Amino acid sequence: MLTAINLHKTYRKDAILTPVLRGLDLEVLPGEFLSIVGMSGSGKSTLLHLLGTLDRPDEGEVRFDGKRIDDLRADKRDRLRNETFGFIFQFYHLLPELTALENVLMPQMISHSVLGWLGRRRALRRRAEELMERVGLSHRLHHRPRELSGGEMQRAAIARALINRPRVLLADEPTGNLDEDTGREIVSLLHDLNRQDGLTIVMVTHNREIAAGTDRVVRLHAGRVESPIALSSPFLAET
Amino acid sequence: MYKLLLCWRYLRTRYLAMVCIVSVMLGVATLIVVNSVMGGFSTKLKDRLHGLLSDIVIEERQAGTFDDPEGKMARIRSDPFLAERVEAMTAVHETFAMLIGEGAIPNTRPVHLIGIDPKSRALIGGFQEFLQSERNRADPARAFEPDDEAYRRYWNEQMLRDQERRKEEALEAMQAVQEPDPGLPPAPPPPVPSGPAKPLPEAPSWHDRPHVPHGAIVGYALSHYRRPAVDGQPPEEVCTLQRGESIVLTTVKGTKLTPVYDRFIVTDYVKTEMSEYDSNYIFVPLEHLQRIRGMEGRVTSIQIKLKDYREAKAVVERLQQLFEPVGLDVKTWEEKQGPLLAAISIEKGILNVLLFMIIAVAGFGILAIFTMIVVEKTRDIGILKALGASNGGVMKIFLAYGLLLGVVGAALGSVLGLVFTHNINEIEKFLGKVTGQGEIFNRSIYYFDRIPTDIQPMNVLLVNLGAIVVAVLFSVLPALRAAMLHPVRALRFE
Repeated sequence: MLTAINLHKTYRKDAILTPVLRGLDLEVLPGEFLSIVGMSGSGKSTLLHLLGTLDRPDEGEVRFDGKRIDDLRADKRDRLRNETFGFIFQFYHLLPELTALENVLMPQMISHSVLGWLGRRRALRRRAEELMERVGLSHRLHHRPRELSGGEMQRAAIARALINRPRVLLADEPTGNLDEDTGREIVSLLHDLNRQDGLTIVMVTHNREIAAGTDRVVRLHAGRVESPIALSSPFLAET
Repeated sequence: MYKLLLCWRYLRTRYLAMVCIVSVMLGVATLIVVNSVMGGFSTKLKDRLHGLLSDIVIEERQAGTFDDPEGKMARIRSDPFLAERVEAMTAVHETFAMLIGEGAIPNTRPVHLIGIDPKSRALIGGFQEFLQSERNRADPARAFEPDDEAYRRYWNEQMLRDQERRKEEALEAMQAVQEPDPGLPPAPPPPVPSGPAKPLPEAPSWHDRPHVPHGAIVGYALSHYRRPAVDGQPPEEVCTLQRGESIVLTTVKGTKLTPVYDRFIVTDYVKTEMSEYDSNYIFVPLEHLQRIRGMEGRVTSIQIKLKDYREAKAVVERLQQLFEPVGLDVKTWEEKQGPLLAAISIEKGILNVLLFMIIAVAGFGILAIFTMIVVEKTRDIGILKALGASNGGVMKIFLAYGLLLGVVGAALGSVLGLVFTHNINEIEKFLGKVTGQGEIFNRSIYYFDRIPTDIQPMNVLLVNLGAIVVAVLFSVLPALRAAMLHPVRALRFE
């Protein structure tokens, strides 16, 4: 469904070149819950950004449903990010000026013009409220992010990622900033979404235990996939 | 949609934005107040400049005077194009003269003497309404006849002067008698007529006394002065030349420029509120002035009033065709006052440019504050891009933000400026009281009772538009910067 072919990405700071990805290949299957693990600096986040068209590779291709997406025009990529991909970040990245509900509605506001928004406001609002109920935030609709706990903020971020019914959810260490219990709750929420809605999820994580619970674990090392290990593989226990 | 929401939220949660609004507001308010007051002054000044001048003036180019004004006016009337557009005409004889007051306070000064026919001059406008006597305002044709009160004063003055003269003659006669024979014992003094004690004879009626001098209408500032406030006493108007007092006007006669003079009786004042006119002009009957100057039938100009001043240009052209060949100049009043009017408009233009700098300063404030906000919001911009917002969309947030600041600032500034302009006299009074300066705006210079203001909607609109355009222009740079942020780098920004 989502394919990375021979991805290269080098960051440049002044004259210092830092190669992050060096010829990475990866295939994400429809409906699978894939986790990506690896040391800091192994290129996990960069890979996620390239998959989600937030950044462009120096070399190689990203394909979605067989069509190349990394070299699309800016407006097409903006649309992909808005409609096809949902993003979740380690630091939640909610907009502090808006309430939880408004944050959840933000992707809808981006895709609708003012008139379109005014016309469909009620329906969109209802959907946002349903989503917030599903992630367990129906009692926090009108709170600002700074009034929410970390777990609540991440739930709001998940609801935001889901509002436009994306086909792929890209999660960048969603539990990295949460305590263990809360992190587990968030992951179980992701599992629910994966199982019940058939949502394809790609998650970057440092937590072995959480990775172990997913369908498949991919390990990055020095900018390449080291071991695309099946969940049942004995390798996983050793890492 | 998100642009409007974010823009609105940023406006409400950033007090720095209030600073931008206040600076735009002050700039707009200042521009409106200054423009309104300057506009008020210049329309008032224009009104007053126009005051005594007719719409169109026909003058002699070199000799100063020309003859047969009636014939020329008849010619204008017989021209179908002109007859349709000319409302009234009058002939005028202007010259310079020396005024010598004979009243209690001696008063000698150069004046501008204008001989008019009050009846036809009144039809031109800018004369009748400036007269101070109500009788004359109602019937300007009689403006050169002293009214009863003026006539009585004149008569009493003449009687007193007569008595003084007789007393002096008697004294002189007595001394002349005594001097030739100092040895003789002094003769008993003859009875000296005791002047003021004796009641003056009643003045005969005006119509029985045709030998009263001709009347003169004197500029208000020539006959009055405003005594400034002294020792807590309020300023006061003092009349130095009463109605009925006589004055002597000296001018020159004919081509040889022989000095001639005649006595006139003050019958009225003219108050145009234009100090140049009020402190220089004296009106006397046209025919009498022509007679004493030995220039019967000759005038210096023909003044013309139009039915519609907007047609002045065409009329002037037609008149020039008629009268250029005989050496006469035709001008509108604006052309006659050209340099002054041009100076006013240039002054206003320069002031506007300078004041617009205030709004430019507000613009730099917006630039600085917006740049700060963009830096502060870097991560949020990254989030928006991750959620699918386009570069253009992010840019529009900040442009709309600038527009909003500009619109709100300009609206508040307009309200402030209009309220200030509307109450400027009260504010001036208040400031005067607080600072202890008394009148900030010295009325004796301008004769204005109130500070004149003239709010031009077009001007207010332009100022508003300018402020809004500046606000948007200065937010372009920060907005571009926000649009160009790389999403990944913005997301990592801490």
